Amino acid sequence: MRTTIPCRAANPGRGPAFQPGLLSLLITVHLWPLGLLAQSVTDCEAHKHHGRLAETQRCYQQLSNSRDLLQRAEGLWGLGLTQDANNAFRAAAAANPKSPEIKIRWGRFFLERWQKEDAAALFEEAMELKKDHPQALLGMALLASEGFEKKATEFAQKALEGDPKLVEAQALMAQLAVEDVNFDKARTEAEKALKISAESLEAMGVMAALDVLADKPNSPWFDKIAQINPVYAEGYAYVAHVLTINRRYLEAIEFFKKAIEKNPRYWPAHSEIGISYMRLAREKEARHHLELAYNNNHKDPETVNSLRLMDSYANFDNFKTPHGELRLHKKESALLKLYFEQELERAITTFEKKYKVKLKEGVRLEVYPDHEDFAVRTMGMPGLGALGVTFGYVVAMDSPSGRKPGTFHWASTLWHELSHVYALSATNHRVPRWFTEGLAVHEETAVAPDWGDRLDPHMLMAVKDKKLLPVAQLDRGFIRPSYPNQVIVSYFQGGRICDYINQKWGWQTLLDMLHSFADNRTTPEVIEKHLKLKPEEFDKEFLAWLDKQLATPLAKFEDWQKALKLLNNGAREAKADDALNKKVIEDGLKIRDWFPEYVEPGNVYEVVAEAYLKMGNKKSAAAELERYAKVGGRSPATLKKLADLQAEQGRPKDAIATLDKLNFIYPVADPDMHRKMGELCLTTNQLPMAIREFQAALASKPLDPASSYYQLALAYMKANRIADAKEQVINALEAAPGFKPAQKLLLELSSK
Amino acid sequence: MRLLALLLLLTAPARSASYYLTIAGLGGEPEYEQRFTSLAQEIDKLLKASSGGARVETLHGPAATKAKITEILNAFAKSATPQDSTTVILIGHGTFDNVDYKFNIPGPDLSAYDLGGLLDKIPGHQLVINTTSCSGGSVVALKKQGRALITATKAGSEKNATVFARYIAEALRDPAADADKNEAVSALEAYRYANEKTIRFYETQKRIATEHAQLEDTGKSEPVRDANTENGQGLLAARVTLLRLGSAQKAAATPEKRQLLEKKEALEQEIAKLKYQRAAMNSEQYRKQLTQMLLELAKVQAEIDK
Repeated sequence: MRTTIPCRAANPGRGPAFQPGLLSLLITVHLWPLGLLAQSVTDCEAHKHHGRLAETQRCYQQLSNSRDLLQRAEGLWGLGLTQDANNAFRAAAAANPKSPEIKIRWGRFFLERWQKEDAAALFEEAMELKKDHPQALLGMALLASEGFEKKATEFAQKALEGDPKLVEAQALMAQLAVEDVNFDKARTEAEKALKISAESLEAMGVMAALDVLADKPNSPWFDKIAQINPVYAEGYAYVAHVLTINRRYLEAIEFFKKAIEKNPRYWPAHSEIGISYMRLAREKEARHHLELAYNNNHKDPETVNSLRLMDSYANFDNFKTPHGELRLHKKESALLKLYFEQELERAITTFEKKYKVKLKEGVRLEVYPDHEDFAVRTMGMPGLGALGVTFGYVVAMDSPSGRKPGTFHWASTLWHELSHVYALSATNHRVPRWFTEGLAVHEETAVAPDWGDRLDPHMLMAVKDKKLLPVAQLDRGFIRPSYPNQVIVSYFQGGRICDYINQKWGWQTLLDMLHSFADNRTTPEVIEKHLKLKPEEFDKEFLAWLDKQLATPLAKFEDWQKALKLLNNGAREAKADDALNKKVIEDGLKIRDWFPEYVEPGNVYEVVAEAYLKMGNKKSAAAELERYAKVGGRSPATLKKLADLQAEQGRPKDAIATLDKLNFIYPVADPDMHRKMGELCLTTNQLPMAIREFQAALASKPLDPASSYYQLALAYMKANRIADAKEQVINALEAAPGFKPAQKLLLELSSK
Repeated sequence: MRLLALLLLLTAPARSASYYLTIAGLGGEPEYEQRFTSLAQEIDKLLKASSGGARVETLHGPAATKAKITEILNAFAKSATPQDSTTVILIGHGTFDNVDYKFNIPGPDLSAYDLGGLLDKIPGHQLVINTTSCSGGSVVALKKQGRALITATKAGSEKNATVFARYIAEALRDPAADADKNEAVSALEAYRYANEKTIRFYETQKRIATEHAQLEDTGKSEPVRDANTENGQGLLAARVTLLRLGSAQKAAATPEKRQLLEKKEALEQEIAKLKYQRAAMNSEQYRKQLTQMLLELAKVQAEIDK
């Protein structure tokens, strides 16, 4: 969501900026004294456009006393009396049900009050009354732009076809191009808007933003804006918004500050700067601005949800780590700290060497068990991952407990996000989206090949249907997807591009590219400089490489799909029949390597392993499930089954390795798994891991805490940590005074 | 102090007789029929294997009729004494019409009032574990002083088939259910085990929980999810032993070790008392005293086990 973007909220508490297009719309309202209505509304808009605040107030006051319902609604809206304005719009619409213009104005009112569904319904009703009404199309374009939908451009374009002088639509085209990282187009579109109206503040804001993005913070366009409207906070706020979506958070804050200096009562900027501070973990400043916005009736979802999230911080524990801080929910902090702290430190140590960057600040990692809390962190940001997000040195991510077991590899996400910290830090936040995401996806499998997202049918079909974007345009796939799953496909493509560059040119080339992006060079420039290829040549080579990599799944996909269905049907019917199970195994092995990365439910590995088990062949079943685990299979039940088989076959170290994979996937709510792993570690003398696992079992609130305390005591004793062992055996006996093995251990320890 | 006194009773060796009746009701469809029957059979096996002289009756399939249930419970009533305990476990589907709960069995259903009437005739304390859908609706009719009541659902309106029964059976075979390691699984331990497992089942499956188990054993309060000393629930359930493990009974039956056992019991009572005083004590002092007592208890146990 992006309900407070300055480009839309160009007129706080009021509709769009003064413009000839709007005037013409109002003149078409035939039911009132046209001259007076148009003159009055236009006057108010003109005062506002030029920053004459007292005159604007008086003008709307006058309108609000009008006997005419639409004028009254406009006046009340201008005064910020939203409930009265809504009633007046409703009455106006009821009195003039055939007027599309009233519906459009009412829709714009709703759009400004963050009621998107109502706004959309009114724009659609308007278009039913008058097909392709440019102002209604503009309303739809604004709505779509808030969700970063591709349709935004289509609607704006269509609005301009109907009314080529509709400057707001033209300026929106420029803004959309900025979001698409198509800066040349943005400039052209903004220039077109300025040709329509030399005083288009939105278009000037785009020009200023383009300068700032190009590291020219003192753009002359700010002065030009000030000459027209000396209190136009929205220009600076728009630039700040653009910086935010380009991940330049600290700079964004400076521009929000300038916006607030221009107009301290511009509440959307207070809200946005509050959210920006929150993202950077500057919570005191965040709360100050968010509460200021909220208390002044700026209660958009972002403000409200951010304040709620900050209130919920009381439910979290904070832990200092050697390189930063961990914020974990109290209900799971004891357990997750055991794993998250270790991985956080491991990732930082690895990346420090790999990226040759020493971070200037500690990393703060926030882990949310409630996905809705995490979602507040990504509001208003296009193309960010659904599992984790990085804001400079702050990383927020889902907890494994917030996801269905087996669907989320939290460690992979953690490393992915940490990679962003380094890429952002190394480039002073000037890395394009596709490259930082590509690097992050590359890093997931660089840690361990079975981490990261598996190739799924969506990705495969995108390759097959030639839907991958040229590298120079890949950012668009993240920001404004043009087909379902394009964001996922873009992550995949970015990752494979980095894999390819790493394989062909080496890691240092990826680092060199990163440093060139730090100099604000474009993707084509960086590709040409470091790979000595034109972007289109690179695309050709990359696609050829990718086609080769995926040759088998691409060629066999349809056959594989049909065969997999038959295989699963056969497995269901096989039951305990050896002959049928043998056929399942034969059929499965025939198609398994056609699409080896497929590990979702119904995959070949599990079906074949089950058939082996039914035939009593545990060794082959284990071997098949080992293949499943190796290619990234993540079902907790299946991995536990594999660990049992390995342990049964006298391979405790393999069983430990399998259960340790599970720790990176779903370590929560499973004290039995931790105990089992701890016991295996004890038998193989892997004492630090045994200690961690028994601690994890205890943190998982086992039904039998005494046993876990006892086993922890045993592990400590073996590790020669006698004092710790004594403490834990006392804990065991406190829970169960008659626990005989613990009593014996206590006697033994007491004699030491 | 009344709570403490009752708790201390827990450590006393049990010398009473136990009666068990497990009933698997109608499944309605083969999958449920089979599931209910196998759970009842499993519980039957576990109870028979562990509770030496106890009387264990199990009904399932066409035999699980109201007449047969009545016959068995009337027989229990004839032989049981006030020191004995009677446990009834219901597995299957239940219904609730806002007035009465009914357990679905072949022939006429068994209502909660029917069951209450039959149990009222049996001396000694009682335990009813109603694992069926709608089982929360049976509380009003069955609630009585001296009777511990565990239901799989918090109300008669929770109508979906439950998983609670599966975990009650599991509690009887998983040593982890014996949380205090006294070699016996009490009704309270079984309840806590099954309740926790049921909660985890729904959490792990990311499904909305359609059953919320509860316990009532005062006979005069509302059932609770978490029985503890603060709400006064769980005292009777802690006294009812569902399953004995290991050597607990053998030790109690060895006369030559009586003196050591008495010393052990005294120490256990002291430890329980100390734990209750913990909140009012300096933590270092508490820990020191606890360690000394536990060490002494360990030595006594070692003597007993020689």
